[in-house]
Amino acid sequence: MVSSQETDRTDGLIQLDVLGPSGSYRSRSRATVPDVSGRPAAELSLAPTVYVDRAMAALRRARPLSADERVAAIVRAGRLFATETINGLTVGEYEHAVSRVGGVPIQVVRAATRTALERSAQLHHGLQHARPWGAVGDWRDPLTRAGRAVWTRRGEVFAVHAAGNHPGTHTLWPEALALGYRVAVRPSRREPFTPHRLVTALRMAGFGEDQVVLLPTDHAAAEALLRGADLAYGSDEVIRRYADDPAVLPLIPGRSKILLTADTDWRDHLDTVVESIAHHGGTGCVNATAVLVEGDPAPVAEAIAGRLSVLPSLPPEDDKAILPVQSAVSARALERYVRDRAAGARAHLGGDGFVEELGDGSAVLRPVVHQLERADDPRAGAELPFPCVWVAPWSREDGVTPLRDTLILGAYTDDDRLIDAFLDEPTIANVYLGDHPTYWTATGIPHDGYLAHFLMRTKGVIRG
Amino acid sequence: MSTAAHPVLDLPFDTPPDPEEFIRAAMEWHFHPDTGSPYWLERATSLDFDPRTDVKSHDDLQLFPNVVNEMRKVPVHALIPKGYGPRPDIVGVYESGGTTGAPKRVVCPRDWMERLVDWSNANLDEHDFPRGVDWLGLTPSGPHIVGEIFRRSAATHGRHGFQVDLDPRWVKKLIADGKADQADAYAEHVIDQAEFILRTQEIGVLTITPALLERLVRREDLVALVNEKVRAIRWGGTQLDPDTHHLYRTEIFPETVLYGHYGSTMIMGIAGQRPGSGDSCVFDTFSPYVTFSVVDPVTRRPVPYGARGQVVMNHVSKALFLPNNLERDLATRVEPVRGRVGDAAADIAPVGRFENEAVIEGVY
Repeated sequence: MVSSQETDRTDGLIQLDVLGPSGSYRSRSRATVPDVSGRPAAELSLAPTVYVDRAMAALRRARPLSADERVAAIVRAGRLFATETINGLTVGEYEHAVSRVGGVPIQVVRAATRTALERSAQLHHGLQHARPWGAVGDWRDPLTRAGRAVWTRRGEVFAVHAAGNHPGTHTLWPEALALGYRVAVRPSRREPFTPHRLVTALRMAGFGEDQVVLLPTDHAAAEALLRGADLAYGSDEVIRRYADDPAVLPLIPGRSKILLTADTDWRDHLDTVVESIAHHGGTGCVNATAVLVEGDPAPVAEAIAGRLSVLPSLPPEDDKAILPVQSAVSARALERYVRDRAAGARAHLGGDGFVEELGDGSAVLRPVVHQLERADDPRAGAELPFPCVWVAPWSREDGVTPLRDTLILGAYTDDDRLIDAFLDEPTIANVYLGDHPTYWTATGIPHDGYLAHFLMRTKGVIRG
Repeated sequence: MSTAAHPVLDLPFDTPPDPEEFIRAAMEWHFHPDTGSPYWLERATSLDFDPRTDVKSHDDLQLFPNVVNEMRKVPVHALIPKGYGPRPDIVGVYESGGTTGAPKRVVCPRDWMERLVDWSNANLDEHDFPRGVDWLGLTPSGPHIVGEIFRRSAATHGRHGFQVDLDPRWVKKLIADGKADQADAYAEHVIDQAEFILRTQEIGVLTITPALLERLVRREDLVALVNEKVRAIRWGGTQLDPDTHHLYRTEIFPETVLYGHYGSTMIMGIAGQRPGSGDSCVFDTFSPYVTFSVVDPVTRRPVPYGARGQVVMNHVSKALFLPNNLERDLATRVEPVRGRVGDAAADIAPVGRFENEAVIEGVY
């Protein structure tokens, strides 16, 4: 048993225990979590299937806290997460670990910590935006005496098969806890620090050990999370296998895009376009993958390349780092992949390679800009975990078709009919008009629809 | 002409023979024209050594080729040593699990089965298995030797044996065909049947595979039932990882004896978990009749103690000679019990690929 307050490092490695329904659990079978140079940084305990099965059963047995207690605990947890020493790691040490292991620039990690704090404070408020306006949150609401919809959970136990690309992916699932679900999180081995810290903080803040658990597992035991849950969401291999199951909500690539029409002068928005590509180190699903230009795309591509080319190559933990870092081996593999994929496209940046090795086994993924000849070139949807953008021509005749399957569409246009078409297109999740970066969000703004719409339903209730 | 076996081949289970005297007597038995099996007498003609003069010790077994794949086709009567006479007392023909292709077969004379069960019963005593209780077996039945060992163990160490049919080959086929839901339904069906027996009968010993035990544990009412009735669980067939073993021992079945078996139809037997070997189960064989070597899969030489290697199994008894069988498992090489030949094996886990067919673990 490990108290969340004591420093816990064996052989200099951070120990990330399973956080189960009756406390911390350190298994014999542990995955080594390397940093970007390949040096072991942490050991992640792996829960065997039997453990997962029993943890899921314990979640199902547990009763949720009251709604008010849940909201209060999430607000407290956000403060603990962003300020306290947890599992022996200060905030700074935690952020350093995420940066070194995930290769995410340290400023991006620090910003994510601030966002986690803000979002936890606003979480309940934000959730109310997802509730159908006619539905009340509790059957005790006097409105039900005249007959009313009540917003209710679709299940009791929620499994999160977490992504590891960016710490911000963990700001969404606490909504399920706020709604009264018991939640099991399977962390990604790419970055298990954030969910471990967050689950610990939630428990310190008042959630029971049988209400939110962290269950790192190997491949086989991951199925036990899904099996034990009513609803599941995320992006690991198990989620992909069951993506067609209506009880599973898969996280899919964002393929966010920017459309620059002739209605506006793109030069006025270059800062926002470049930021949309490279903010968060280009690691997010909200980063722009493609820029479509009405007119000649070459000057736009050239200008973007010019801005991106000056970004420095630095270790991720450097305060001035902007670009993501990976192990040189995986960076080289990515480089081969992109080079094959880009064959025939005109390179404005990174065409001869984009990997800059830092000498310690790690390598910076430098920005890449390619120009495509057609708006419907499928490569415009090739989302990669670094600033890698495809610039293509677009015309009114192309219409909305090349803009399908887009998480965030940043559109620079005054054409109301075009805007209508974006809003009518079901595969575009968010539409940002004018000078707003694709990563913009605010309380109450859905990410890919409201997660709560997957978690909740309405029930007609009348009484008295 | 003499068909009498050297007495060293007929010792009681608890009288270990001198290993070298034993090997020489076994070679004489299996390769003498009067006593050897038709299979081995024919097979020996293509060996570049004479087993009766050149094989003097356990280590010399490495001279033999791995003939186990020939057991997929040999008519089983050709495997019976002629020394057993014209009307050999045979308890059964047994087949391998068929994990890696067509099944392999062995034929088991009564003297071996009885000696094996006597040895196994002594192990059960050492692990504090209660005597005289009823047993429930959730193990492969049909042509698999584990089913026969179950029935005889239940009848001799226990009282009555209750079994549920279990066809591991069908489960493997379902999994290989991507029909995980059907494999799942089959396994649930097996557990459902076990529940009837557990609820109504006085089951004191449960024999079960790790996959089925894991599934049983998902039903909390069955865990309670097992804890109420069952005093000892004998598991085997596939492996139990140390973390799961620890959870069973400390949290789920804290009052129940846990005892593991590691075996193969091709050794006509089982290795038993060493008492006190903790959660990293160490398995000891019924040496010198059944022996393991943990070897480097490329050089086929033993790895150092404590290192991982692939398991080679040998069976040398009056009943059967089947040396140098490279099994599908990896293990840590452990020193044997003092005075015994061969290796003990710990932390057994399947090799990912074997003979160009992917190994699929299922219920079995």
